Amino acid sequence: MRFALIGNPSVGKSLIFNQLTGLGVEVSNYPGTTVELQRGNTCFQREMVELVDLPGVYSLEGGSDEEDLVRRFLEQQDTDAVIVVVNVTRLERNLYLLLQVAEYGLPMVVVLNMADEAAKLGIEIDPAPIRDLLGVDVIQTAASQGKNIDRIIPAALAATRPSKVEIPYDHHVEAAVRSLGKMFLVDRKESVRALQGFGDNPELLEAARTIADEIESRHRMTASQIIAANRHNFAHRIADLTLKEELLLRQTDPDSILTRLFPGMPILLGILVGMLLLVFVVGSFLEEIIVEIFNVFAIQPFLALGLPPLAEELGRSILLALQAGLGIAFPYVLLFYIIISVLEDSGYMTRAAFLADNAMHRLGMHGGAVIPLTLAFGCNVPAIMGIRLLHSRRERIIASFLVTMVPCSARTVIIAGIVGSFVGLGAAFSVYGIVFVLILITGLVLSRVTPGERFGMIMEMVPLRRPDPKLVMKKAWARLSEFLFIAMPLLLVGSVVLGLLEFFGIMAIFEGIVEPYTLALLGLPGYSATALVFGILRKEMAFETLAILAGTADLGAVLSSLQLYIFAVVTVLFVPCLATITVLLREVGSRITLAITVYTVALGLLIGGLMYRILS
Amino acid sequence: MLPSTFEDYLEAVLAITGNGGQSATLQEIAAALGTEREATGTTIASLVEEGYLERATDDAVRLTEKGLSVASVVARKHRVLQCFLTEMLGVDADAASKEACTLEHDISDETIDRLSSYMDGAQPPAGRMGHCRSRDTCTLLDCKEGDTVKVATIRGPRRHRRLLDLGIFPGEVVQIRRKLPNQSVVVRVKGCDIAISPEIARSILVESCP
Repeated sequence: MRFALIGNPSVGKSLIFNQLTGLGVEVSNYPGTTVELQRGNTCFQREMVELVDLPGVYSLEGGSDEEDLVRRFLEQQDTDAVIVVVNVTRLERNLYLLLQVAEYGLPMVVVLNMADEAAKLGIEIDPAPIRDLLGVDVIQTAASQGKNIDRIIPAALAATRPSKVEIPYDHHVEAAVRSLGKMFLVDRKESVRALQGFGDNPELLEAARTIADEIESRHRMTASQIIAANRHNFAHRIADLTLKEELLLRQTDPDSILTRLFPGMPILLGILVGMLLLVFVVGSFLEEIIVEIFNVFAIQPFLALGLPPLAEELGRSILLALQAGLGIAFPYVLLFYIIISVLEDSGYMTRAAFLADNAMHRLGMHGGAVIPLTLAFGCNVPAIMGIRLLHSRRERIIASFLVTMVPCSARTVIIAGIVGSFVGLGAAFSVYGIVFVLILITGLVLSRVTPGERFGMIMEMVPLRRPDPKLVMKKAWARLSEFLFIAMPLLLVGSVVLGLLEFFGIMAIFEGIVEPYTLALLGLPGYSATALVFGILRKEMAFETLAILAGTADLGAVLSSLQLYIFAVVTVLFVPCLATITVLLREVGSRITLAITVYTVALGLLIGGLMYRILS
Repeated sequence: MLPSTFEDYLEAVLAITGNGGQSATLQEIAAALGTEREATGTTIASLVEEGYLERATDDAVRLTEKGLSVASVVARKHRVLQCFLTEMLGVDADAASKEACTLEHDISDETIDRLSSYMDGAQPPAGRMGHCRSRDTCTLLDCKEGDTVKVATIRGPRRHRRLLDLGIFPGEVVQIRRKLPNQSVVVRVKGCDIAISPEIARSILVESCP
């Protein structure tokens, strides 16, 4: 048996999916979180049930990637029943999608989710009209409390008949549906879709276009507009029957402060700067403690053992890698992920998008781009995947450039660990300043030179919610464990390889070759070039490698402040890490990826070189 | 027939001088057309030679009678074409203006007359053609925060399908929840708040609600 979950964005599909399957799909409070099909299994009365979590969509007939994906899935009829999840606090808009799904003629169950929030708003729900009009089973749930979730699977198993609903369209549309049906032997749904220009039978589309033009000239509305209006009006009627709203006292509306330029803008900037400051201050404090503990309890006792030189070199490399890895992971990466998860779950990101819309237009994108740009502070990889919420290729190209330039948590480690600890906090923030100015300039230039169409933003402001601490921690932990399991082995192997190269003197040869260049260009010793190269694997490895190569964690003793500062700036700008390059290849193609890589290398070396000339 | 560059120059002079009475400086003309100053000077000189322009001062010219009649014909063609492109076909205003600039030189007088009378004859719903003749309908951007208005038409309806799916379609009543000084708006429709960029809000024509 296979069932599919379908619904508007942010209605709790992924939450229900997680509760039914026990899997950890990411839940966020903004449109576009789930962009791929997620599959999971659950057992009911010793029978295996496969669940598919579809991305949240507003319609089956828009042109976006998610909408295409969901529509193709429904067209394949590859599911035994669909479970339509509906947010009762926004019932009317949700019913619009429900009616479209009902036209596909698959057995279905309706889940009225967020019954608890509706009760808080004083909305009383009567599920009978939906049950009678559509002829399907209706369940009221509260996914955040896990209420009635266990009734979904039995209801889906019992659902065998498709909905019997027929949306009453305008009589011209109805006439067109009848004649198209007679001429081409297609069903109602296919005729309606053909009138809107969707389908794959060219003759049917041709005929439908002629009729649609006729309808348009009579109504002065396009056929799509008429059909959408009919569906919305029908949804409105059902919603009226279903809801009995008792007027309660209106709660205070946080949007009255969040979406005004003042104080909304200062709040937005405050959140971003506060996030960086908090990670910086708390992160470096925690890191010092972890590094100190490691020094006293692991490295010093190990060196005191007096092992043979090769074994000692190997052991020391492993311990240094562990020290650097743990010192980075817990304080910086975890903290960033916690803050970003809170921002995501609260629904604040859509407010930020609205406020930043104008500024983002200057950079050639629309307000939605703020979401990936903010996510990029945690890690560039999910942020690059997030640029899908931009419509045009032009916007995606610009966003992919800018996102890869945002200092992610790994680069924060470099800034905090090298500049923050050895040069000063002010200097560390000036690195951010430099990077942000470069991002701005890049955006301004790209928006002028990138060809392609501009699209504006049409974005739903999702309801603000208090993030559930348990869910936030779970999400942050899931992301951190990815870091631990993927990055730590890399760190360990890299560290051991470096230790061995060093031991056999190969390193010295390489450094001897590059040293004249790095000294002349950036004023940095040869081993810093090795660190930069290792930084391509994982950004934080640049820091850790530098420490290993310098032979001490106290970098201030071997390099001058200026050298450390330049090293940090170059590393932060230099080449996106391997993981980022991989997703870039998938999302924007090899040419743009190459352009981004070349651009960032050139920019890093140029800025580093300029600073060396000016400051020394 | 004049080459299209000449027509563009005469049209620009007409636009700068209003109805042709005053004079336009070389600098203004170069700025309006986005051309080099030197090239502008040469073209103006040959236009003066042919009797379309006359020199008012050393650095400024005005239209002669002959020039004025050519300029007005071209300007009218531009207006009619732009109106047709934006209001009937739903082309974006900037793009329509550019396109009208190219089309105006080749289109015959008769076609323009027919197009103009065709547009007058078409009985448009409130809001669609209104923009061309009078200013009694407005876009979402002309509304104030807190206004409740009814959507009349959406220009370029095929471009923004998501508006339809979120419930913003002709006939629907929406409330303007927030309007920033930079023209981004939030409208409430069907109990949900939708944030909309200025250029999209501009394409939504509304009527005030009774």
